[in-house]
Amino acid sequence: MSDIRDQQDAHEFRAEALSLWRIIFGPLIWALHFVASYGAAALVCAKAAPGAVAGLRMGIGLGTLLALALIFWLGLQAWRQWDLRRDREWENDAGTSEDRHQFLGHAGFLLAVISFIGVVYVVLPALLIGSCA
Amino acid sequence: MTRPHLLPTAEGPYPPTEGMLNAPVSEAEQERGTKELRAAWKTPEGWRYVTAVNNSEVGKWYSLTALAFMLVAGLLALAMRVQLAFPGMTFLDADRFNQFFTMHGSAMMFLFAVPMFEAISILILPAFLGARDMPFPRLSAYGYWCFLIGGIFVMGSLLFDAGPKAGWFMYPPLATKDEGIGPDIWLLGLSFIEVASIAAAVELIVGALKCRPPGMRVNIMPLYAWYVLVVGGMILFAFPPLIAGDFLFELERSFDWPFFDPTRGGDPILWQHLFWIFGHPEVYIVFLPSIAIAAMIVPTVAQRPIVGYSWIVLSAVGTGFLSFGLWVHHMFTTGLPQISLGFFSAASEAVVIPTGIQIFAFVATLMVGRVKLTLPMLWIAGALAIFVAGGLTGVMLAIVPFNWQVHDTYFIVAHLHYTLFGGMVFPLIAGVYYFYPFFTKKLMSEKLGLWAFWLIFSGFNITFLPMHLTGLMGMPRRVFTYPESSGWGWLNLISTLGAFIVAAGFAVFLFDLLRPKKAQGQIARNPWGAGTLEFSHDIPEEAWGARSVPHITSRYPLWDQPGLVARMDAGRYYLADAPDHQRETIVTSVIDAKPVHVQRVTGPAWITILAAIFTGGAFIFPTFHIYTPAIICGAFAIVSVMYWLWTSTARPPKDDMREAGLGLRLPTYASGPDSVGWWGMWITMLGDATAFASVVFGFFFYWTARSDFPPEGAAHPVGLWVAVAALAGVAAWALTVAARETNARGQVALARLALVLAPLAAGAAGVAAWAAVRDLDPTSHVYPAILWALMVWLVVHLSAGVLMQGYCLAGSIFGKMTPRHDADLRNVTLYWHFMAVKALVTTAVLGLAPGWLT
Repeated sequence: MSDIRDQQDAHEFRAEALSLWRIIFGPLIWALHFVASYGAAALVCAKAAPGAVAGLRMGIGLGTLLALALIFWLGLQAWRQWDLRRDREWENDAGTSEDRHQFLGHAGFLLAVISFIGVVYVVLPALLIGSCA
Repeated sequence: MTRPHLLPTAEGPYPPTEGMLNAPVSEAEQERGTKELRAAWKTPEGWRYVTAVNNSEVGKWYSLTALAFMLVAGLLALAMRVQLAFPGMTFLDADRFNQFFTMHGSAMMFLFAVPMFEAISILILPAFLGARDMPFPRLSAYGYWCFLIGGIFVMGSLLFDAGPKAGWFMYPPLATKDEGIGPDIWLLGLSFIEVASIAAAVELIVGALKCRPPGMRVNIMPLYAWYVLVVGGMILFAFPPLIAGDFLFELERSFDWPFFDPTRGGDPILWQHLFWIFGHPEVYIVFLPSIAIAAMIVPTVAQRPIVGYSWIVLSAVGTGFLSFGLWVHHMFTTGLPQISLGFFSAASEAVVIPTGIQIFAFVATLMVGRVKLTLPMLWIAGALAIFVAGGLTGVMLAIVPFNWQVHDTYFIVAHLHYTLFGGMVFPLIAGVYYFYPFFTKKLMSEKLGLWAFWLIFSGFNITFLPMHLTGLMGMPRRVFTYPESSGWGWLNLISTLGAFIVAAGFAVFLFDLLRPKKAQGQIARNPWGAGTLEFSHDIPEEAWGARSVPHITSRYPLWDQPGLVARMDAGRYYLADAPDHQRETIVTSVIDAKPVHVQRVTGPAWITILAAIFTGGAFIFPTFHIYTPAIICGAFAIVSVMYWLWTSTARPPKDDMREAGLGLRLPTYASGPDSVGWWGMWITMLGDATAFASVVFGFFFYWTARSDFPPEGAAHPVGLWVAVAALAGVAAWALTVAARETNARGQVALARLALVLAPLAAGAAGVAAWAAVRDLDPTSHVYPAILWALMVWLVVHLSAGVLMQGYCLAGSIFGKMTPRHDADLRNVTLYWHFMAVKALVTTAVLGLAPGWLT
């Protein structure tokens, strides 16, 4: 029988509170990338000289590389947290700290994947369209 | 931050062992618990019944009211279909037709779809979580009464031929130039309801995070709770831009501040942005909760756990995010740069991925399970078929050139009804059949259900499938009639016939829903063989929610934890009694659901109804440009809310600890992040900050969209006063923090002094902000108008902050707040953290931005 005031547990909880936030870091990066790309395009198209579009596309390209790198890094961390290769555990459906920990990794990993795809989709117009018109 | 460490923490053994759970509870003890709980949770009788705040009562009223509004909006649609059945019909004139289509859309969205999600969640979320009630029952009741008053007001306008008629999105300049009071009714009436929606969202988020039963960690909570979290979060970020838009719009309608008037520097496109930043996530706010119902029904039907739980969580969270990147696909024809349209087109295609994943997860679950084709499953199957068709036309519409072709035609009408019927109406009806035994302890008829399904399913396709063609042939939306030579006549006639078949189906469904079922006798407790906690409900009905709050170790406790229901009934889990005859529920930690404290929840009250009536007055009188009674109502609404908070929330308890059962002793008071009130404040402030950000966005939007912003030689705010406002605002924040810290250290006199000085500083900040823009004329140009709007926003929030500081001061003096029991002050400090940021951003925009931009 364990006591509810077990300090080790409290420590673990603090670490995991960040983990719940961490699963949405991927989508958050997608959102920031999206807003920054849209905002920059709106500004350049409204205020800058027509030649600035090339700079805009370059900027969006660099921002995209940064966003993809960050998402990749988050995804890698989440993949390790999920720990699929060791225990081949896909469901993580037990009421234990370990399954909760791995589940958050699994969810974070999947969200990183979808965010990665989302960022790639959003950058396509900047690759394919060369003007504001 | 000084933690309130003087408060006791939970103590005793946890988690409970099998041996502890097997220890019998004596008959006498069980009887005592039952009697106490019955007394605490007694539903008021007779005419006092309306004062009930229990989630089961409020949820029932809420869903029946939303259903009633849906039926009225449906009748409007039928009337429109009659008018369109033949060319040149004169059943409705153009003006009434405009009112009808505006109210059909507005009511279906604001009075049915979103409130229905909240209603159903208020009803069933606590049951999924084995909780006694929602964390803030009176807030749900207040939200319901606001919804009822606002809904009747907005719908009632049709009876006086005064309804709004500019379309459900109220585009300016059509709506700003409208001479009647229709747009005011729409703006104020629906803002009022939006506030109620946000209140419900706060309640549901806190419920899902903090009111789970012990042991229900995030990886095993029901998928419905995940969806509630996502949708609640979406409401917090989607509704505030619309509220900010309504605020600007009503300032233009009432005081002629030219936010959307291009002749004075305004821009109607700003409204379209604010509306659709709300409007597109709204579609997913409606869709996700209904899919959540499907996520609960599918495992039961397949008699096995859902396949890909994590994938569905990914899908819900991913859809929640991506759906915010779609709003401009409603604005493809407004002349934005191609490259911008491209971003939104791409995001609109990307959102298909998470949406598709959850549908594949359902199909996979059905494939590997042993499916029994029950009525709920039939409706889910219909939903999937219709939704997939709507999704496919959605993919077509996300492509910009195709969108230009069919923009504003009946193709759009067909698409949106396919998504909303498939994504919302069908799963919702499936949910009604599925949860009906839980709501009413009766079953609905199998035979009538089949009739209703086939009538609605076939009628729906007969109505809306031809509309794709009608639209491609060029019929525009929102026309009240058309010439015979158009060639659309026969298609419209088919659609009208289909609409009546749908109506017949709804009549059958309604009859079955509402007919008395006395002859049915007592039904089985878990008629579908479900695995989740809601089917541990008591038959015959008890108002306490759960006889005792269980310890959960599995996603499907009724399947995996044998003996769970018997133990719950025997009071062998937590909170099996109510010694003080108080309503209580257990609050647990966010990630692992470890018991934290016992939360007293509020009981029946008139004050919530009074507060809702006065709030209604504050919103409804300005519609008719009557302001004095509106201000009086607003003041009374504030007084009512403060009375309700003062008398029944965060009062120091009689005993510090309570025996919670199974040897666990839990504190009865919590402060700061442990308490539900702190979470409620934090979540509300996120929404409020979003609305504020939308107004600030307006400022910068004008700067990018207009070359005359700020206009040549315009007067700017007075720099000195702006600086004073910034300093005084920060001082008010610092004093509030000081009050919290000194109070926690026991230096009560110092804390009180800080709480006297803080409102003075806040008042000075407000006056200085006003003085800074006093000499500018807000009707002359949008530049002074948006500065005034920012000032008004700041002053209103400062006033709320002053009231809160005063409330804490009074609490300290009259013993409601002590150094140990300081939840109020911690919540108010949290408000002031946000307030300080708002004051700094506002003063930066007022004082610095004009210099940078010119």
